[in-house]
Amino acid sequence: MNLIIKIAWRNIMRHRGKSLVIGAILFTGALLMTVGNGVISGMDAGLQKNIVEGFCGDALLVSDKQESDNVFLDPMGKAVEPVNNYKAIDSALGAIPYVKKWLPIGKNFAMALNDDGGVADGVFVLGVDMEKYRRFFDGNLKLFAGRFLNENEPGVLIPTGWRKQFGEYYNVLFTPEGAKIDTAMLGKDVTSRLADMTVKHSVVYMGMNMNNTTTDVRVPVRGIVKYRSLNTIWGNFPIVDIESYRECQGYFSAQATTASVKKEDLDLLGKADGSLDDLFSQGDLVVTQKVSTAPAALAEGSLAVTRDTVRKTVDPDAGTFNLVLLRFAKGQKLDKSVEVLNKFLAEKKLGVRAVTWKKATGMIGSMAGLIKTSLFVFVMFLFFVAIIIIVNTLSMAAIERTAEIGMMRAIGARKGFIRAMFLGETATLSAVFGGAGVLVGILAVNIITAFNITTDNDMVQLLYGGDTFRPLLSLLDMALVVVQLVIVTFIAVIYPIRVASNITPLDAVSRE
Amino acid sequence: MNIIEIKGVTKDYALGSTTVHALRGIDLTIEEGDLMTIMGPSGSGKTTLLNVVGCIDQATSGSVTVHGDEVTKLNDRQVTDLRLNRIGFIFQTFNLIPVLNALENVEFPMLLLKKDSRAEVRKKAERLIEAVGIREYMHHRPAELSGGQRQRVAIARALVTNPDIVLADEPTANLDSVTGGQILDLMKEMNAREKTTFIFSTHDANVLKYARTAVKIKDGIIAEKSRL
Repeated sequence: MNLIIKIAWRNIMRHRGKSLVIGAILFTGALLMTVGNGVISGMDAGLQKNIVEGFCGDALLVSDKQESDNVFLDPMGKAVEPVNNYKAIDSALGAIPYVKKWLPIGKNFAMALNDDGGVADGVFVLGVDMEKYRRFFDGNLKLFAGRFLNENEPGVLIPTGWRKQFGEYYNVLFTPEGAKIDTAMLGKDVTSRLADMTVKHSVVYMGMNMNNTTTDVRVPVRGIVKYRSLNTIWGNFPIVDIESYRECQGYFSAQATTASVKKEDLDLLGKADGSLDDLFSQGDLVVTQKVSTAPAALAEGSLAVTRDTVRKTVDPDAGTFNLVLLRFAKGQKLDKSVEVLNKFLAEKKLGVRAVTWKKATGMIGSMAGLIKTSLFVFVMFLFFVAIIIIVNTLSMAAIERTAEIGMMRAIGARKGFIRAMFLGETATLSAVFGGAGVLVGILAVNIITAFNITTDNDMVQLLYGGDTFRPLLSLLDMALVVVQLVIVTFIAVIYPIRVASNITPLDAVSRE
Repeated sequence: MNIIEIKGVTKDYALGSTTVHALRGIDLTIEEGDLMTIMGPSGSGKTTLLNVVGCIDQATSGSVTVHGDEVTKLNDRQVTDLRLNRIGFIFQTFNLIPVLNALENVEFPMLLLKKDSRAEVRKKAERLIEAVGIREYMHHRPAELSGGQRQRVAIARALVTNPDIVLADEPTANLDSVTGGQILDLMKEMNAREKTTFIFSTHDANVLKYARTAVKIKDGIIAEKSRL
């Protein structure tokens, strides 16, 4: 072995030019692959962190009737099936130790209407209990104008992305009442037309669902928000209070259960204490009998129902949702956890199934994987070219060394020795130059990370996987590069080895 | 005792549409410990005969027995092992491994053999390097040695595994007469000291004085065999 390594190394040094050509290719390939993997892994981790921590949790529960797992970004905009038994789900989830917190939300398509009732724009709307939402996604929203929704308060938080888009297409600028118009997030086009734009303090949403029992709901704009990361994507999801959302989608709302019952009727039902909950399967639908909601009123010049007063007494968990977002304990394996959870949900017959965040966000969830695959294909192409060059160079080297190899065979070197010698030379080149490429790549990744490059640009954020460019190298990434180098070495050396080992002593003698 | 027995060996080469009959039926026996020269003009078949005897080339017909082994029936691996264990080679153009120094070149066959320890290999190689008179050059690479010095290294390498036979194809062809004489003296000395059978080809009649047996070959057949 020592002899082979010695000969291999000295041959590399003897043929420095060729060695440098092969080495440079291996170095470049390993460097590109290492840095590329680092960037993509960083992007993957960034996307994961920002999607999981800022938008949809590690996994989410959807109705068993839901066909597609891609509930957030389904290009067909198909309605997400309702989940009507959140109370039961809420009780059951406590039994899964690694599910640390959960949040029920509504998510569906809605049309934003003009004042004349005409359809202006379609948008994915989230319906949330704001207090719980902010507890679940701590600090995922940055407030630009106005304020967040108060508890049980009807209203909508308009994200900057949708506000800008609406402004560009419909010459309408949403802003909370009394708030100063901040032009920072509007873009040049909208800002230049600001004087001609109609300023509105409320939005009319018309829900879109399968059974078409929707209502037009006018909700006041309470705040303008920006998602802290990936606003390019999530900035098109306005956040509406859950009750307005339900009403808009024609869902069973908690509010709808709060009917007033006369005392004589209560006596008749034997419920003099006013508790009617046990007559319904959902249990504690209503926290208190007293409803402070103002009666539904038609807004001036519109058919939409206006909700602008606080509904303090309704238990929002009692109504219909579309999704239940879940956060797992740190270190949980996503797919395995979801698999276990699904078994549990099936046993409990809760009518829902768990879906990973990657599946739920469709293309976005798989984006890192797609880019990683693209990089892999690019580097494989690079390595393919490298293989051709290396094969050619080594084959020429083998032919040039016919006398030397033939003489070795004449004095007793077996074919295996010649094979090992050639493999040793290529492996040494691969180890030295490829290894250097990996090391320089690791260094480059660490240097880039140390610079802590941040951006507010939405598109760049998409590439970074968040607001900070933070390449990340896992052991798996490095192992992948090493495996690729090994494969390249083996493939590149097959033909030259064949050429070299087929050289006979007679070939050497004939050349004299 | 005969160490090599050659019976009815022919060797034909295809050269385009014609066939060259390099050996036309050679019968030859070589005794153990002999110092034989095979003489003849260029193209007479000297090198072909040495190649067939040394298992570098295969006979078209006939049989070659080396130390009792019928070499025409051996596969590539067996032939390689036979060359390693029983035959030493000295080539006309020295043919040393360019990336190894003189000492390492001598060690090379022993390292392939894997019989002795690293220290024993080194000791034996140094002894042979000294015996062929190039001790002060043992750490020089072939490119740093003269033709005569390289051929001495080749002789040491050929002898290091204690082979039964050393085949040398015109070992002095590329050397000046003084150096060539020194090399032949060395081979004669090694033949006497190590009792190794030496067979060398030449077309120089002046080398006859070094040999004990002379074989003259002409047009692929043995023209004369004589004890000197």
